Amino acid sequence: MNGIAGRDIIHRWEGNPLISIADLSFRCSDIHNAGIARLNGDVMMLLNIESLQGHNLFYRARSNDCINFTVDPKPFMSPPKTGPRAKYETFGIRDPRITPLEGKFYITYVADSELGMRLGLACTKDFTDVEFLGYVSQPDVKNGVLFPKKINGRYALLKRPDGGNLWLSYSQDLDFWGDEKVIMTTRGGFWDSSRIGAAAVPIECEQGWLLLYYGAKDTSAGPLVRLGAVILDHDDPSKVIARSDIPILSPRERYERVGDIPNMVFSCGAIVKDDEVWVYYGASDSCICLGTATIESISEFCLACAVVQDYMHSMEEE
Amino acid sequence: MKIRHGIDLLQRWRRNPILTLEDVPYRCNTVFNATPVKVDGTYYLIIRIEGQQGYSYFALAHSGDGLHFEVEPTPCMMPSTQEPWRTWEENGIEDPRLTVIEGRYFIMYTACGGHGHYIALAETEDFHNYERIAVVSEPGNKDGVLFPEKINGLYARLDRPFGKGIGSMWISYSPDLVHWGKSEFVCAPRPRFWDQYRIGASAPPIYTDRGWLEIYHGVKMTSAGPIYRIGTIMLDKDNPAHIIGRCVEPLLSPRMDYERIGDVGNVCFACGAIVEDDNSVKVYYGAADTSICVATTTMEELIDSCFECTDEKDCIGGSHH
Repeated sequence: MNGIAGRDIIHRWEGNPLISIADLSFRCSDIHNAGIARLNGDVMMLLNIESLQGHNLFYRARSNDCINFTVDPKPFMSPPKTGPRAKYETFGIRDPRITPLEGKFYITYVADSELGMRLGLACTKDFTDVEFLGYVSQPDVKNGVLFPKKINGRYALLKRPDGGNLWLSYSQDLDFWGDEKVIMTTRGGFWDSSRIGAAAVPIECEQGWLLLYYGAKDTSAGPLVRLGAVILDHDDPSKVIARSDIPILSPRERYERVGDIPNMVFSCGAIVKDDEVWVYYGASDSCICLGTATIESISEFCLACAVVQDYMHSMEEE
Repeated sequence: MKIRHGIDLLQRWRRNPILTLEDVPYRCNTVFNATPVKVDGTYYLIIRIEGQQGYSYFALAHSGDGLHFEVEPTPCMMPSTQEPWRTWEENGIEDPRLTVIEGRYFIMYTACGGHGHYIALAETEDFHNYERIAVVSEPGNKDGVLFPEKINGLYARLDRPFGKGIGSMWISYSPDLVHWGKSEFVCAPRPRFWDQYRIGASAPPIYTDRGWLEIYHGVKMTSAGPIYRIGTIMLDKDNPAHIIGRCVEPLLSPRMDYERIGDVGNVCFACGAIVEDDNSVKVYYGAADTSICVATTTMEELIDSCFECTDEKDCIGGSHH
């Protein structure tokens, strides 16, 4: 199912968009992004939906073929109206990422309020109930992605605090975080010159961790948001081994160009299927789409870029 | 007998400023925000110096009476030259706050790195040598002050993440001073008030029988730039994320020439206070980002000032409550 071959490393599924407003049994403003994970034989998706009032919340969708999804009529996770969380989620919850880890599914998401955006952490065993665990950042932090394995005995979290760079921090208990480090920065003059952040949960590959990330470039008409790839060291993911010079997916199709936030492809999750990575991405903050590529084609491309970068660097030094 | 001299609750020492660049035995641009500690009758001030090259570092001054200080011949802490700290501090180190916990001297300060401002923590035994412990915040954070005691078994700090540019006060906790979490919002700027634009912790919290007394700074933005004033809040003893009182009026506002005129005019910015045995208090503050001053009051007056505000919404601040 390679769809249209050609311009991007990721191939779009010919049936895109996978889920749009017409597929829902309820009224809403828009469909933004989606986290995804495998549960037994099915795949479970958490959809970030914007209600007509303008608040964000999560709906669950299920599929047994990774393509045809049924979206629940009722929300799976909503911002609480009372209690200690309420004031941090008055605008809603956004951008869920689902990390399978130690027999559970951890959901990292953005809590949005007058106080700023911060990262929340929740947990579910089987996508029936969800338990809130705590907040794992202060305000002005988005795009929290938890690694699916502990790194040297500690939980590891990618995130994007203000300033638009990719950071990593560690924790022994998911409550207290430290060892903050900038691991990758924006690149002036490139497609990812304005902001970068983790997109999908990192995927273990031969060379380390394959991380799909998003890069934004601000234009006079707003940001262009694209998808890129980078390989991080397996034992020390603060080390970048190879980063793609070009995006692996850029907004080109009508459903990626036209919507509430046009010119955007933004992924919150991907699954591995045989030797392929299936990337679920929000397009224009208006629908969910699917794109695929072999893991090898992405990682080989990152490594090829790294070879050229090393060569250019050595030329500069001479 | 309470006598309120003049216009502000805090009484300026008549010979302010206590330190200017004239008192520094080497060339520099300005001396300002300084944090005090009193050890066996000797007062130490860790002062922020901005060098003429443009970035800040710390120097040490000492005094027998808390009013007349001598600055030591060389700086006591410079931005690090060794990675990873070199990157964290490449644009300087600013606004130290010293807290004594179980006899250990901790300095929380702002590290100005290439990727933003963060809160960093160092420890000293002798005020001359500083061992860096960790960067303890995400970027976009300043004004970190450590509580002098653990709260419910955890170290605690107040800080000021920018949070949509509002500049509110938050609290975070840590089991080991390195890993931090369980962050909560504490209070925000108050519309209509003198602290309507931005607030942040100033002095490390002081334990009182009414709760944790925090001397903070509040900012009002004007067409000519910000005005920084000094205020007080009271936080719950057992849950300092909960604010139980807040001043209505600032305790000190820029009025004197040395507070009005300087590199950043109209600034009074405290980084610490000394509570004396007789319950008098010396508040050390940077004036106009150009000199260091001291003002005095009593614990009683500071505590009373926290309970001026009777409206809970006005205590918490912000537009969201």
